[in-house]
Amino acid sequence: MTVPAGKAGASIKTSARIVIAGSGLAGIAVANRLARELDGASITIVDRKEVHNYQPGYTLVATGVWPVDKVIDRNSDLQPRGIEWVKEMVAEFDPDANAVVTDSGRRIGYDYLIVATGVHLDYSQIEGMDVDAIGRNGLTSVYPSSDAAVATWKAMDEFRRKGGKALMTLPATPIKCAGAPLKTTFMLVDRLRQAGTLASSEVSFHSALGVVFSVPKINDKVLADWAAQNVEVVFNSKLVGVDIAARRATLVTPDGQRVEEDYDFIHVVPPMRAPDAVKNSPLAWQEGNFAAGGWLEVDRQTLRHRRYPNVFGLGDINGTPRGKTAATVKKSVPMVTQNLIDVIAGREPSQLFDGYTSCPMILREGSAMLIEFDYDGKLTPSLPMIDPMQESYFAWVMKYRLLKPAYMAVAKGRV
Amino acid sequence: MYEIWLTLNILFELGLMYLPVVVGTAALWLVLMVVAARRGKPAWCKAIKPAIVVGLVVTAITFAITPGLTQSSFANVSYWVDWGNLLLYAASFGAVGAALAWPLAATMCRQA
Repeated sequence: MTVPAGKAGASIKTSARIVIAGSGLAGIAVANRLARELDGASITIVDRKEVHNYQPGYTLVATGVWPVDKVIDRNSDLQPRGIEWVKEMVAEFDPDANAVVTDSGRRIGYDYLIVATGVHLDYSQIEGMDVDAIGRNGLTSVYPSSDAAVATWKAMDEFRRKGGKALMTLPATPIKCAGAPLKTTFMLVDRLRQAGTLASSEVSFHSALGVVFSVPKINDKVLADWAAQNVEVVFNSKLVGVDIAARRATLVTPDGQRVEEDYDFIHVVPPMRAPDAVKNSPLAWQEGNFAAGGWLEVDRQTLRHRRYPNVFGLGDINGTPRGKTAATVKKSVPMVTQNLIDVIAGREPSQLFDGYTSCPMILREGSAMLIEFDYDGKLTPSLPMIDPMQESYFAWVMKYRLLKPAYMAVAKGRV
Repeated sequence: MYEIWLTLNILFELGLMYLPVVVGTAALWLVLMVVAARRGKPAWCKAIKPAIVVGLVVTAITFAITPGLTQSSFANVSYWVDWGNLLLYAASFGAVGAALAWPLAATMCRQA
Protein backbone atom coordinates (compact mmCIF):
# COMPACT_ATOMS: atom_id res chain seq x y z
CA MET A 1 0.00 0.00 0.00
CA THR A 2 1.41 3.40 -0.92
CA VAL A 3 0.10 6.74 0.21
CA PRO A 4 1.49 9.94 -1.28
CA ALA A 5 2.58 11.90 1.78
CA GLY A 6 0.30 14.74 2.78
CA LYS A 7 -2.00 14.44 -0.22
CA ALA A 8 -5.51 14.20 1.09
CA GLY A 9 -7.77 12.44 -1.38
CA ALA A 10 -4.93 11.17 -3.55
CA SER A 11 -5.36 7.74 -5.15
CA ILE A 12 -3.82 4.89 -3.18
CA LYS A 13 -3.18 1.27 -4.00
CA THR A 14 -4.95 -1.20 -1.77
CA SER A 15 -6.47 -4.63 -1.92
CA ALA A 16 -9.02 -3.79 0.78
CA ARG A 17 -12.45 -5.37 0.56
CA ILE A 18 -15.05 -2.67 1.16
CA VAL A 19 -18.73 -3.46 1.58
CA ILE A 20 -21.33 -0.69 1.31
CA ALA A 21 -24.72 -1.60 2.74
CA GLY A 22 -27.30 0.49 0.94
CA SER A 23 -27.54 2.20 -2.43
CA GLY A 24 -29.35 5.40 -1.63
CA LEU A 25 -27.59 8.69 -2.22
CA ALA A 26 -25.00 8.03 0.50
CA GLY A 27 -24.11 4.52 -0.66
CA ILE A 28 -23.84 5.46 -4.34
CA ALA A 29 -21.90 8.67 -3.68
CA VAL A 30 -19.31 7.02 -1.44
CA ALA A 31 -18.96 4.14 -3.93
CA ASN A 32 -18.19 6.59 -6.73
CA ARG A 33 -15.61 8.41 -4.64
CA LEU A 34 -13.91 5.26 -3.38
CA ALA A 35 -13.83 3.74 -6.87
CA ARG A 36 -12.05 6.85 -8.09
CA GLU A 37 -9.66 7.30 -5.19
CA LEU A 38 -8.67 3.71 -4.42
CA ASP A 39 -6.65 1.63 -6.83
CA GLY A 40 -7.24 -2.10 -6.52
CA ALA A 41 -9.90 -2.09 -3.82
CA SER A 42 -12.76 -4.54 -4.06
CA ILE A 43 -15.97 -2.55 -3.59
CA THR A 44 -19.31 -4.28 -3.11
CA ILE A 45 -22.69 -2.59 -2.83
CA VAL A 46 -25.41 -4.67 -1.19
CA ASP A 47 -28.92 -3.47 -2.00
CA ARG A 48 -31.74 -4.93 -4.04
CA LYS A 49 -33.24 -1.64 -5.18
CA GLU A 50 -32.92 -1.04 -8.92
CA VAL A 51 -34.85 2.21 -8.91
CA HIS A 52 -33.16 5.25 -7.45
CA ASN A 53 -35.67 7.69 -6.06
CA TYR A 54 -34.85 11.36 -5.67
CA GLN A 55 -36.58 11.53 -2.31
CA PRO A 56 -36.09 15.27 -1.74
CA GLY A 57 -38.53 15.70 -4.63
CA TYR A 58 -41.34 13.75 -2.98
CA THR A 59 -42.82 16.88 -1.37
CA LEU A 60 -42.97 18.54 -4.79
CA VAL A 61 -44.75 15.52 -6.29
CA ALA A 62 -47.08 15.20 -3.30
CA THR A 63 -48.17 18.83 -3.56
CA GLY A 64 -48.73 18.90 -7.31
CA VAL A 65 -45.62 20.86 -8.29
CA TRP A 66 -43.65 18.15 -10.09
CA PRO A 67 -44.64 15.15 -12.22
CA VAL A 68 -43.46 11.90 -10.70
CA ASP A 69 -40.97 11.05 -13.44
CA LYS A 70 -38.65 13.75 -12.11
CA VAL A 71 -37.93 11.70 -9.00
CA ILE A 72 -37.26 8.34 -10.64
CA ASP A 73 -33.81 7.28 -11.82
CA ARG A 74 -31.95 3.99 -12.04
CA ASN A 75 -29.20 2.85 -9.70
CA SER A 76 -27.37 1.16 -12.56
CA ASP A 77 -26.92 4.57 -14.21
CA LEU A 78 -25.34 6.04 -11.10
CA GLN A 79 -23.03 3.31 -9.86
CA PRO A 80 -19.34 3.36 -10.79
CA ARG A 81 -17.87 0.76 -13.12
CA GLY A 82 -15.82 -2.06 -11.68
CA ILE A 83 -17.74 -2.61 -8.47
CA GLU A 84 -19.79 -5.63 -7.50
CA TRP A 85 -23.49 -5.05 -7.00
CA VAL A 86 -25.17 -7.72 -4.86
CA LYS A 87 -28.90 -7.33 -5.50
CA GLU A 88 -29.96 -8.54 -2.08
CA MET A 89 -30.58 -6.84 1.25
CA VAL A 90 -28.36 -7.08 4.29
CA ALA A 91 -30.29 -9.16 6.83
CA GLU A 92 -27.58 -9.38 9.46
CA PHE A 93 -24.45 -7.51 10.42
CA ASP A 94 -21.72 -9.56 12.10
CA PRO A 95 -19.03 -6.98 12.83
CA ASP A 96 -17.13 -9.29 15.17
CA ALA A 97 -16.51 -11.56 12.19
CA ASN A 98 -16.23 -8.67 9.69
CA ALA A 99 -19.11 -10.01 7.62
CA VAL A 100 -22.63 -9.22 6.51
CA VAL A 101 -25.28 -11.82 5.73
CA THR A 102 -27.84 -11.14 3.02
CA ASP A 103 -31.48 -12.14 3.05
CA SER A 104 -30.65 -15.10 0.81
CA GLY A 105 -28.16 -16.32 3.42
CA ARG A 106 -25.08 -15.28 1.49
CA ARG A 107 -22.19 -14.29 3.75
CA ILE A 108 -19.95 -11.47 2.50
CA GLY A 109 -16.71 -10.72 4.29
CA TYR A 110 -15.13 -7.28 4.41
CA ASP A 111 -12.14 -5.38 5.67
CA TYR A 112 -14.11 -2.16 5.87
CA LEU A 113 -17.84 -1.60 6.07
CA ILE A 114 -19.91 1.48 5.29
CA VAL A 115 -23.44 1.35 6.64
CA ALA A 116 -25.81 3.48 4.54
CA THR A 117 -29.06 1.58 4.85
CA GLY A 118 -31.32 4.54 5.50
CA VAL A 119 -34.26 4.39 7.90
CA HIS A 120 -37.17 2.09 8.49
CA LEU A 121 -40.58 3.80 8.25
CA ASP A 122 -42.40 2.25 11.17
CA TYR A 123 -46.03 2.63 10.11
CA SER A 124 -46.80 -0.42 12.24
CA GLN A 125 -46.68 1.83 15.31
CA ILE A 126 -49.86 3.49 14.03
CA GLU A 127 -52.75 1.13 14.61
CA GLY A 128 -54.95 0.66 11.55
CA MET A 129 -52.50 2.32 9.17
CA ASP A 130 -52.28 0.80 5.70
CA VAL A 131 -49.66 2.22 3.35
CA ASP A 132 -51.51 0.71 0.39
CA ALA A 133 -54.53 2.86 1.25
CA ILE A 134 -52.65 6.15 0.84
CA GLY A 135 -54.57 8.33 -1.58
CA ARG A 136 -57.98 7.01 -0.53
CA ASN A 137 -60.37 8.40 2.10
CA GLY A 138 -58.19 11.47 2.61
CA LEU A 139 -55.25 9.38 3.82
CA THR A 140 -51.86 10.74 2.76
CA SER A 141 -48.18 10.30 3.54
CA VAL A 142 -45.32 11.73 1.54
CA TYR A 143 -42.60 9.41 2.82
CA PRO A 144 -42.89 5.80 1.66
CA SER A 145 -42.49 5.97 -2.12
CA SER A 146 -42.95 7.97 -5.28
CA ASP A 147 -46.31 6.20 -5.73
CA ALA A 148 -47.37 7.40 -2.27
CA ALA A 149 -46.34 10.93 -3.21
CA VAL A 150 -48.54 10.74 -6.32
CA ALA A 151 -51.41 9.33 -4.26
CA THR A 152 -50.92 12.06 -1.68
CA TRP A 153 -51.32 14.73 -4.36
CA LYS A 154 -54.45 12.97 -5.66
CA ALA A 155 -55.99 13.13 -2.19
CA MET A 156 -54.82 16.71 -1.61
CA ASP A 157 -56.24 17.79 -4.95
CA GLU A 158 -59.63 16.27 -4.08
CA PHE A 159 -59.58 17.80 -0.60
CA ARG A 160 -58.72 21.31 -1.71
CA ARG A 161 -61.75 21.49 -4.00
CA LYS A 162 -64.19 21.12 -1.11
CA GLY A 163 -62.05 22.00 1.90
CA GLY A 164 -62.77 20.58 5.31
CA LYS A 165 -60.80 19.45 8.30
CA ALA A 166 -57.12 18.59 7.76
CA LEU A 167 -54.98 16.90 10.35
CA MET A 168 -51.19 17.06 9.92
CA THR A 169 -48.88 15.01 12.13
CA LEU A 170 -45.31 14.75 13.40
CA PRO A 171 -43.94 11.78 15.39
CA ALA A 172 -41.59 11.92 18.35
CA THR A 173 -38.73 9.98 16.76
CA PRO A 174 -35.91 11.39 14.63
CA ILE A 175 -37.17 11.58 11.05
CA LYS A 176 -35.60 12.05 7.67
CA CYS A 177 -36.24 15.39 6.02
CA ALA A 178 -37.74 16.95 9.13
CA GLY A 179 -38.96 19.81 6.97
CA ALA A 180 -41.27 17.59 4.88
CA PRO A 181 -44.20 17.58 7.35
CA LEU A 182 -43.98 21.37 7.55
CA LYS A 183 -43.64 21.89 3.80
CA THR A 184 -46.63 19.65 3.20
CA THR A 185 -48.64 21.73 5.66
CA PHE A 186 -47.57 25.04 4.10
CA MET A 187 -48.41 23.74 0.63
CA LEU A 188 -51.76 22.36 1.73
CA VAL A 189 -52.70 25.78 3.10
CA ASP A 190 -51.55 27.38 -0.16
CA ARG A 191 -53.52 24.91 -2.28
CA LEU A 192 -56.65 25.60 -0.20
CA ARG A 193 -56.07 29.33 -0.60
CA GLN A 194 -55.66 28.97 -4.38
CA ALA A 195 -58.86 26.93 -4.58
CA GLY A 196 -60.77 29.46 -2.46
CA THR A 197 -61.61 26.90 0.21
CA LEU A 198 -59.18 27.98 2.94
CA ALA A 199 -61.74 30.06 4.81
CA SER A 200 -64.07 27.09 5.08
CA SER A 201 -61.28 24.73 6.13
CA GLU A 202 -59.61 23.90 9.39
CA VAL A 203 -55.95 22.83 9.40
CA SER A 204 -54.34 21.54 12.58
CA PHE A 205 -50.80 20.27 13.13
CA HIS A 206 -50.28 17.67 15.85
CA SER A 207 -46.69 17.40 17.00
CA ALA A 208 -45.71 14.56 19.30
CA LEU A 209 -42.98 16.89 20.55
CA GLY A 210 -42.98 20.28 22.21
CA VAL A 211 -41.82 21.90 18.96
CA VAL A 212 -42.43 21.54 15.23
CA PHE A 213 -38.78 21.94 14.20
CA SER A 214 -35.62 21.39 16.20
CA VAL A 215 -33.94 24.70 15.32
CA PRO A 216 -35.50 27.33 17.63
CA LYS A 217 -35.40 30.27 15.19
CA ILE A 218 -37.03 28.21 12.44
CA ASN A 219 -39.54 26.74 14.87
CA ASP A 220 -40.57 30.24 15.93
CA LYS A 221 -40.83 31.47 12.34
CA VAL A 222 -42.99 28.51 11.29
CA LEU A 223 -45.28 28.91 14.30
CA ALA A 224 -45.66 32.64 13.61
CA ASP A 225 -46.56 31.95 9.96
CA TRP A 226 -49.05 29.28 10.93
CA ALA A 227 -50.63 31.54 13.53
CA ALA A 228 -51.19 34.09 10.76
CA GLN A 229 -52.69 31.36 8.56
CA ASN A 230 -54.96 30.06 11.34
CA VAL A 231 -53.19 26.70 11.47
CA GLU A 232 -53.82 25.32 14.93
CA VAL A 233 -50.78 23.65 16.52
CA VAL A 234 -51.23 20.99 19.17
CA PHE A 235 -48.05 19.98 20.98
CA ASN A 236 -47.35 16.65 22.67
CA SER A 237 -50.07 14.98 20.66
CA LYS A 238 -48.90 11.72 19.07
CA LEU A 239 -50.76 9.88 16.33
CA VAL A 240 -51.19 6.27 17.45
CA GLY A 241 -54.10 5.06 15.37
CA VAL A 242 -56.16 5.74 12.31
CA ASP A 243 -59.52 4.38 11.22
CA ILE A 244 -59.18 4.86 7.50
CA ALA A 245 -62.77 4.07 6.53
CA ALA A 246 -64.26 6.28 9.25
CA ARG A 247 -61.64 9.03 8.73
CA ARG A 248 -60.89 9.14 12.44
CA ALA A 249 -57.48 9.54 14.06
CA THR A 250 -56.46 8.55 17.57
CA LEU A 251 -53.91 10.74 19.27
CA VAL A 252 -52.34 10.33 22.67
CA THR A 253 -50.94 12.88 25.12
CA PRO A 254 -47.84 12.26 27.26
CA ASP A 255 -50.04 11.38 30.25
CA GLY A 256 -51.70 8.64 28.20
CA GLN A 257 -54.97 10.39 27.47
CA ARG A 258 -56.40 9.22 24.13
CA VAL A 259 -58.22 11.72 21.94
CA GLU A 260 -60.18 10.88 18.81
CA GLU A 261 -60.32 13.39 15.98
CA ASP A 262 -62.42 13.19 12.84
CA TYR A 263 -60.80 14.48 9.68
CA ASP A 264 -61.37 14.88 5.97
CA PHE A 265 -57.65 14.84 5.16
CA ILE A 266 -54.75 13.47 7.18
CA HIS A 267 -51.01 13.53 6.58
CA VAL A 268 -49.34 10.66 8.40
CA VAL A 269 -45.65 10.96 9.22
CA PRO A 270 -44.51 7.58 10.52
CA PRO A 271 -42.18 7.06 13.47
CA MET A 272 -38.77 6.14 12.10
CA ARG A 273 -36.02 3.88 13.37
CA ALA A 274 -33.06 1.89 12.10
CA PRO A 275 -33.84 -1.11 9.91
CA ASP A 276 -33.96 -4.39 11.86
CA ALA A 277 -30.61 -5.56 10.47
CA VAL A 278 -28.89 -2.62 12.14
CA LYS A 279 -31.16 -2.30 15.16
CA ASN A 280 -30.67 -5.93 16.13
CA SER A 281 -26.92 -5.92 15.52
CA PRO A 282 -23.97 -4.99 17.74
CA LEU A 283 -23.54 -1.90 15.55
CA ALA A 284 -26.52 -0.11 17.13
CA TRP A 285 -26.23 2.27 20.05
CA GLN A 286 -26.49 0.16 23.21
CA GLU A 287 -27.48 3.03 25.49
CA GLY A 288 -28.41 6.70 25.38
CA ASN A 289 -30.88 8.68 23.27
CA PHE A 290 -30.25 6.74 20.07
CA ALA A 291 -30.52 3.23 21.52
CA ALA A 292 -34.32 3.04 21.34
CA GLY A 293 -34.30 3.57 17.59
CA GLY A 294 -31.36 1.22 17.09
CA TRP A 295 -29.42 3.93 15.25
CA LEU A 296 -25.81 3.31 14.23
CA GLU A 297 -23.32 4.14 16.97
CA VAL A 298 -20.89 6.46 15.22
CA ASP A 299 -18.67 9.23 16.46
CA ARG A 300 -20.54 12.39 15.49
CA GLN A 301 -17.43 14.06 14.05
CA THR A 302 -15.56 11.30 12.20
CA LEU A 303 -18.70 9.20 11.53
CA ARG A 304 -16.56 6.18 12.37
CA HIS A 305 -18.17 3.49 14.50
CA ARG A 306 -17.30 4.02 18.16
CA ARG A 307 -16.57 0.34 18.85
CA TYR A 308 -15.75 -1.15 15.44
CA PRO A 309 -13.02 1.03 13.92
CA ASN A 310 -13.33 -0.50 10.45
CA VAL A 311 -16.99 0.55 10.20
CA PHE A 312 -18.31 3.95 9.11
CA GLY A 313 -21.85 5.28 8.88
CA LEU A 314 -23.40 7.57 6.29
CA GLY A 315 -26.74 9.22 5.87
CA ASP A 316 -29.99 8.69 7.71
CA ILE A 317 -28.89 5.61 9.65
CA ASN A 318 -26.40 7.50 11.80
CA GLY A 319 -27.24 7.98 15.45
CA THR A 320 -26.28 11.63 15.45
CA PRO A 321 -28.30 14.76 16.23
CA ARG A 322 -30.47 16.27 13.48
CA GLY A 323 -29.42 16.01 9.85
CA LYS A 324 -31.19 13.19 8.05
CA THR A 325 -31.15 14.91 4.67
CA ALA A 326 -29.45 14.77 1.27
CA ALA A 327 -27.53 17.90 2.28
CA THR A 328 -25.99 16.00 5.18
CA VAL A 329 -24.92 13.31 2.74
CA LYS A 330 -23.47 15.94 0.39
CA LYS A 331 -21.22 17.32 3.12
CA SER A 332 -20.35 14.08 4.91
CA VAL A 333 -19.59 11.70 2.03
CA PRO A 334 -16.30 13.38 1.03
CA MET A 335 -15.29 13.39 4.69
CA VAL A 336 -16.07 9.74 5.30
CA THR A 337 -14.32 8.84 2.06
CA GLN A 338 -11.18 10.60 3.24
CA ASN A 339 -11.49 9.19 6.77
CA LEU A 340 -11.75 5.67 5.37
CA ILE A 341 -8.73 6.28 3.16
CA ASP A 342 -6.88 7.55 6.24
CA VAL A 343 -7.76 4.38 8.14
CA ILE A 344 -6.77 2.16 5.22
CA ALA A 345 -3.45 4.01 5.16
CA GLY A 346 -2.95 3.42 8.88
CA ARG A 347 -3.73 6.97 9.96
CA GLU A 348 -6.37 8.38 12.23
CA PRO A 349 -9.39 9.98 10.47
CA SER A 350 -8.52 13.53 9.50
CA GLN A 351 -11.96 14.93 8.65
CA LEU A 352 -14.39 16.20 11.28
CA PHE A 353 -18.06 16.63 10.37
CA ASP A 354 -19.98 19.49 11.99
CA GLY A 355 -23.44 18.05 11.36
CA TYR A 356 -24.22 20.33 8.43
CA THR A 357 -27.67 19.93 7.02
CA SER A 358 -30.01 21.97 4.92
CA CYS A 359 -33.73 22.31 4.33
CA PRO A 360 -35.33 24.36 1.59
CA MET A 361 -38.47 25.15 3.55
CA ILE A 362 -41.29 25.69 1.07
CA LEU A 363 -43.64 28.34 2.42
CA ARG A 364 -46.06 28.46 -0.51
CA GLU A 365 -45.93 27.76 -4.21
CA GLY A 366 -43.17 30.03 -5.49
CA SER A 367 -41.41 30.93 -2.23
CA ALA A 368 -39.14 29.19 0.26
CA MET A 369 -36.42 29.71 2.85
CA LEU A 370 -33.03 28.04 2.43
CA ILE A 371 -32.12 26.94 5.93
CA GLU A 372 -28.71 25.47 6.73
CA PHE A 373 -27.66 24.44 10.22
CA ASP A 374 -25.32 22.18 12.17
CA TYR A 375 -25.48 19.62 14.99
CA ASP A 376 -26.11 22.36 17.54
CA GLY A 377 -28.94 23.97 15.58
CA LYS A 378 -26.76 26.95 14.75
CA LEU A 379 -27.66 28.52 11.40
CA THR A 380 -24.71 28.12 9.00
CA PRO A 381 -25.51 29.78 5.66
CA SER A 382 -23.10 28.77 2.89
CA LEU A 383 -23.18 32.32 1.58
CA PRO A 384 -22.98 34.60 4.64
CA MET A 385 -24.57 37.59 2.90
CA ILE A 386 -27.79 35.64 2.35
CA ASP A 387 -30.23 35.78 5.26
CA PRO A 388 -31.50 32.22 5.91
CA MET A 389 -34.69 33.60 7.49
CA GLN A 390 -35.62 35.53 4.37
CA GLU A 391 -38.53 34.28 2.28
CA SER A 392 -37.15 34.03 -1.20
CA TYR A 393 -38.00 33.23 -4.79
CA PHE A 394 -34.37 32.17 -5.26
CA ALA A 395 -34.71 29.53 -2.51
CA TRP A 396 -37.81 28.27 -4.33
CA VAL A 397 -35.88 28.03 -7.61
CA MET A 398 -33.16 26.14 -5.75
CA LYS A 399 -35.71 23.58 -4.63
CA TYR A 400 -37.70 23.57 -7.84
CA ARG A 401 -34.89 23.41 -10.37
CA LEU A 402 -31.33 23.39 -8.98
CA LEU A 403 -31.16 20.86 -6.16
CA LYS A 404 -31.86 17.83 -8.34
CA PRO A 405 -28.81 18.56 -10.54
CA ALA A 406 -26.80 19.14 -7.35
CA TYR A 407 -28.03 15.80 -6.03
CA MET A 408 -26.92 14.05 -9.22
CA ALA A 409 -23.46 15.60 -8.92
CA VAL A 410 -23.26 14.36 -5.33
CA ALA A 411 -24.35 10.87 -6.36
CA LYS A 412 -21.65 10.79 -9.01
CA GLY A 413 -19.09 11.72 -6.36
CA ARG A 414 -18.10 15.06 -7.82
CA VAL A 415 -19.24 17.51 -5.14
CA MET B 1 -14.33 27.94 -3.99
CA TYR B 2 -16.57 25.00 -3.11
CA GLU B 3 -19.66 27.02 -4.02
CA ILE B 4 -18.14 27.81 -7.44
CA TRP B 5 -17.37 24.11 -8.01
CA LEU B 6 -20.89 23.22 -6.91
CA THR B 7 -22.40 25.81 -9.26
CA LEU B 8 -20.35 24.50 -12.18
CA ASN B 9 -21.52 20.97 -11.42
CA ILE B 10 -25.14 22.09 -11.22
CA LEU B 11 -24.78 23.80 -14.60
CA PHE B 12 -23.15 20.66 -16.03
CA GLU B 13 -25.95 18.44 -14.75
CA LEU B 14 -28.56 20.89 -16.07
CA GLY B 15 -26.76 20.71 -19.40
CA LEU B 16 -27.05 16.92 -19.33
CA MET B 17 -30.76 17.17 -18.50
CA TYR B 18 -31.34 19.47 -21.47
CA LEU B 19 -28.65 17.97 -23.69
CA PRO B 20 -30.62 18.03 -26.98
CA VAL B 21 -31.38 21.74 -26.51
CA VAL B 22 -27.77 22.54 -25.58
CA VAL B 23 -26.31 20.57 -28.49
CA GLY B 24 -28.93 21.94 -30.89
CA THR B 25 -28.22 25.54 -29.89
CA ALA B 26 -24.46 25.05 -30.18
CA ALA B 27 -24.87 23.40 -33.57
CA LEU B 28 -27.14 26.20 -34.78
CA TRP B 29 -24.59 28.80 -33.69
CA LEU B 30 -21.80 26.94 -35.50
CA VAL B 31 -23.87 26.70 -38.68
CA LEU B 32 -24.69 30.42 -38.53
CA MET B 33 -21.01 31.26 -38.00
CA VAL B 34 -19.92 29.09 -40.93
CA VAL B 35 -22.63 30.52 -43.19
CA ALA B 36 -21.67 34.05 -42.19
CA ALA B 37 -17.98 33.40 -42.82
CA ARG B 38 -18.56 31.86 -46.26
CA ARG B 39 -20.97 34.40 -47.66
CA GLY B 40 -19.08 37.41 -48.83
CA LYS B 41 -17.36 39.57 -46.28
CA PRO B 42 -19.33 39.46 -43.02
CA ALA B 43 -19.44 42.76 -41.12
CA TRP B 44 -18.50 41.36 -37.73
CA CYS B 45 -17.94 44.71 -36.01
CA LYS B 46 -21.03 46.31 -37.49
CA ALA B 47 -23.07 43.33 -36.31
CA ILE B 48 -22.19 43.77 -32.65
CA LYS B 49 -24.72 46.55 -32.01
CA PRO B 50 -27.78 44.71 -33.39
CA ALA B 51 -26.61 41.54 -31.63
CA ILE B 52 -26.53 43.41 -28.32
CA VAL B 53 -30.00 44.80 -28.97
CA VAL B 54 -31.31 41.28 -29.60
CA GLY B 55 -29.54 40.13 -26.43
CA LEU B 56 -31.20 42.89 -24.40
CA VAL B 57 -34.61 42.02 -25.80
CA VAL B 58 -34.12 38.33 -24.97
CA THR B 59 -32.92 39.32 -21.48
CA ALA B 60 -36.01 41.45 -20.90
CA ILE B 61 -38.39 38.75 -22.14
CA THR B 62 -36.66 36.04 -20.10
CA PHE B 63 -36.71 38.28 -17.03
CA ALA B 64 -40.44 38.88 -17.44
CA ILE B 65 -41.54 35.29 -17.99
CA THR B 66 -39.18 33.29 -15.76
CA PRO B 67 -41.05 33.56 -12.43
CA GLY B 68 -44.20 32.29 -14.17
CA LEU B 69 -42.31 29.47 -15.85
CA THR B 70 -40.98 28.34 -12.47
CA GLN B 71 -44.43 28.19 -10.87
CA SER B 72 -43.90 31.41 -9.00
CA SER B 73 -44.66 35.09 -9.63
CA PHE B 74 -43.14 38.53 -9.19
CA ALA B 75 -45.07 38.77 -5.90
CA ASN B 76 -42.51 36.33 -4.50
CA VAL B 77 -39.50 38.17 -5.93
CA SER B 78 -38.71 40.53 -3.09
CA TYR B 79 -35.23 39.82 -1.77
CA TRP B 80 -32.17 41.38 -3.44
CA VAL B 81 -30.81 37.88 -4.00
CA ASP B 82 -33.98 37.06 -5.96
CA TRP B 83 -33.60 40.10 -8.23
CA GLY B 84 -29.87 39.47 -8.69
CA ASN B 85 -30.27 35.83 -9.64
CA LEU B 86 -33.23 36.51 -11.89
CA LEU B 87 -31.22 39.17 -13.69
CA LEU B 88 -28.22 36.85 -14.02
CA TYR B 89 -30.41 34.05 -15.35
CA ALA B 90 -32.10 36.36 -17.86
CA ALA B 91 -28.76 37.82 -18.92
CA SER B 92 -27.45 34.30 -19.62
CA PHE B 93 -30.25 33.73 -22.08
CA GLY B 94 -29.69 37.21 -23.44
CA ALA B 95 -26.05 36.29 -24.09
CA VAL B 96 -27.15 33.19 -26.01
CA GLY B 97 -29.58 35.32 -28.00
CA ALA B 98 -26.83 37.80 -28.80
CA ALA B 99 -24.46 35.02 -29.80
CA LEU B 100 -27.02 33.63 -32.25
CA ALA B 101 -27.92 37.07 -33.58
CA TRP B 102 -24.31 38.12 -34.18
CA PRO B 103 -23.51 35.89 -37.21
CA LEU B 104 -26.99 36.51 -38.60
CA ALA B 105 -26.51 40.26 -38.38
CA ALA B 106 -22.99 39.96 -39.76
CA THR B 107 -24.35 38.09 -42.78
CA MET B 108 -27.12 40.62 -43.35
CA CYS B 109 -24.75 43.57 -43.03
CA ARG B 110 -21.97 42.02 -45.13
CA GLN B 111 -19.80 44.28 -47.20
CA ALA B 112 -20.09 44.14 -50.95
